[in-house]
Amino acid sequence: MIENFKISLKEIDKINLINQEDKNYRIKNLEFFNKKGFPTKKEEDWKFSDLREIFSKNFKKIDINDTYPEENKFRLIKEFDHNYILLINGRLIRSDFKFEDKNKIKITGYKEENFLREKSNNPLICLNNALSNEGYNLVVEKDYKFEKVLVIYNLFNEDLSEKILNNKNKIIVKKNSELHTIEYTINRSKNKFFNNTYENIILYENAKFKNICIQAGRSEGYFHKFLNGSIKSDSKYSSFIFSSGLKFNKQDIKIDLEGKNSDCEIKSALFLNKEDHQEIKTVVNHLVPNCKSFQKIKSVLDSNAKGVYQGKIFVKDIAQKTNAYQLSKALLISENSEFDSKPELEIYADDVKCSHGSTSGNVDENSIHYLMTRGLTKKEATQLLINGFLKEIISDIKSETIKKFVENKLEFQVYGY
Amino acid sequence: MLEIINLKASINKRDILNGLNLKINPGEVHAIMGPNGSGKSTLANILSGKNGYKITGDLKYKGENLKDIPVEQRAQKGIFLAFQYPIEIPGVNTNNFLKTSLNTIRKAKGEKEIDTLAFLKLVKEKAKELGIDEKILSRQLNVGFSGGEKKKNEILQMKILDPNLVILDETDSGLDIDALKTIADGVNSSRSKDKSFLVITHYQRLLDYIKPDFVHVLSSGKIVKSGSRELALELEKKGYKKIN
Ligand SMILES: Nc1ncnc2c1ncn2[C@@H]1O[C@H](COP(=O)(O)OP(=O)(O)O)[C@@H](O)[C@H]1O
Ligand SMILES: [Mg+2]
Repeated sequence: MIENFKISLKEIDKINLINQEDKNYRIKNLEFFNKKGFPTKKEEDWKFSDLREIFSKNFKKIDINDTYPEENKFRLIKEFDHNYILLINGRLIRSDFKFEDKNKIKITGYKEENFLREKSNNPLICLNNALSNEGYNLVVEKDYKFEKVLVIYNLFNEDLSEKILNNKNKIIVKKNSELHTIEYTINRSKNKFFNNTYENIILYENAKFKNICIQAGRSEGYFHKFLNGSIKSDSKYSSFIFSSGLKFNKQDIKIDLEGKNSDCEIKSALFLNKEDHQEIKTVVNHLVPNCKSFQKIKSVLDSNAKGVYQGKIFVKDIAQKTNAYQLSKALLISENSEFDSKPELEIYADDVKCSHGSTSGNVDENSIHYLMTRGLTKKEATQLLINGFLKEIISDIKSETIKKFVENKLEFQVYGY
Repeated sequence: MLEIINLKASINKRDILNGLNLKINPGEVHAIMGPNGSGKSTLANILSGKNGYKITGDLKYKGENLKDIPVEQRAQKGIFLAFQYPIEIPGVNTNNFLKTSLNTIRKAKGEKEIDTLAFLKLVKEKAKELGIDEKILSRQLNVGFSGGEKKKNEILQMKILDPNLVILDETDSGLDIDALKTIADGVNSSRSKDKSFLVITHYQRLLDYIKPDFVHVLSSGKIVKSGSRELALELEKKGYKKIN
């Protein structure tokens, strides 16, 4: 059982270290993790997602992954033109920026020196700090707008049974530049594994970064990602989360609005089914005046699924004219499904526009009846309503081809074909 | 087409229909008039298969026991209810919904599914007849539609699905005279010897345009009087109270 799950310090020796200091940092982090173990619901941040319980129910053991196969037979998305990078088990395998000016883009694999040695009390971040040695670093130089979307193929290969993968990624968009990515996860592992990612995003002045996160299909993967975003003045970060189909997924998002007129948008449409468990946890820190944040999370929960949204808005005393909005809507299809929502506002400025709301309910019987009187079966009617409920979020995607692509993926989840 | 024998219905322990009898033959147009709360929509809902009602009595549709037929199959077998209050369905595109609906009904009849091109042509033609602005059909189903647009959308569905038994539940209420005429034209042009209509209305005004073969007065959950079109005029003059 992984109740007392401990990782040997020897694992750190396997990593090609740069210096002793790095090694000491990793050892400290691993010792912290070994002491704390996987988080339980006793910890406020894990109140609705008891990871230790989930793991002890579903994993017998967890080993550190050390396989990174080369991928040759790899099929690209055909629906739209795109640049891409290919990650296998988190490792950067190759990249193709054929639509872009290559002088403006830097892509490399994991580099120790790209990350600060930060201290954390989050056991999963510590675990990541201790063991991550794969990932990618992407820099968009200043004054450059991507011509086409960049797809990040995040592929997991077949033999990941009871493995843990720790990765660190970093994306920097410099002044006056724009990047649009689709993080597309393809999972070939039929067995359970755990992917623990730390991602650092920095947007410099007047930069724009938009990301869509989506799965190719259902998966046995357990995912945790901590996203640390730093947004400078006049910049905009937008994130669309469509990560339906994962056994477990927690996106722990921290965004610091550090520069005036910066803007952050987090939107999500999830269809959770068959004991899926997903949590979106956000902390948006309004640290300076005139910033905007917008969050809209829509979740549909079917048989035994569980959804969680913990959204915190923090407004610093000097952050006047803040405009912050947060809404969560859940639709419960099955009696055995559950949705927990915990909005939190911590506001120290007085000239602030801030609103939040949360609703959850069942499918409207009158709507079902109406559709059935037009010949649809109950199942068809319910699926149409689910799809309609989630579509609002997708309709905010600007590119028609990408919208269609996302729509098809979602319909596949909802209709099962 | 439809035969209702001694229908009693209650909901939440409240008796609403108290022994209603009605027989509609193919090609006939029947009107049911009655004051608010007399049970008109309850009757329409029960025919559509809405659950929640406790029902006794016999309901026969084309010789089959209607109670045994699930909601969607009633639609597939040709029963159509134009709702008094059409439901708003966010996120569902009106055209897509219409096409899905038509295709499920065609499939059930053993017909081939209609392709998108042929469907759009059909919708365009029918929408034009009803004076429906095509733009609303690419919007979400009934969401933000005006009262008139919602009612016209019901008649559009009737036209496209081509049912055998049409129940119109106060399709006229809240409409201006032009919309009323358009809707009546829409209904009249669908009349044929193998289609029947049950026109539920509160006012006789609609019956100036859709001329029924029979008029029934519903009061306290029962048909208290039946007659020809003249009965509607009489009702208009005397009011419901005197008829009782
Ligand atoms: N779900 C319900 N529970 C209790 N009473 C109801 C319900 N639905 C309708 N009624 C009552 O039944 C009566 C008939 O309603 P309805 O059929 O809608 O009348 P009409 O369409 O003729 O105006 C009304 O008095 C109404 O309040
Ligand atoms: Mg009514």
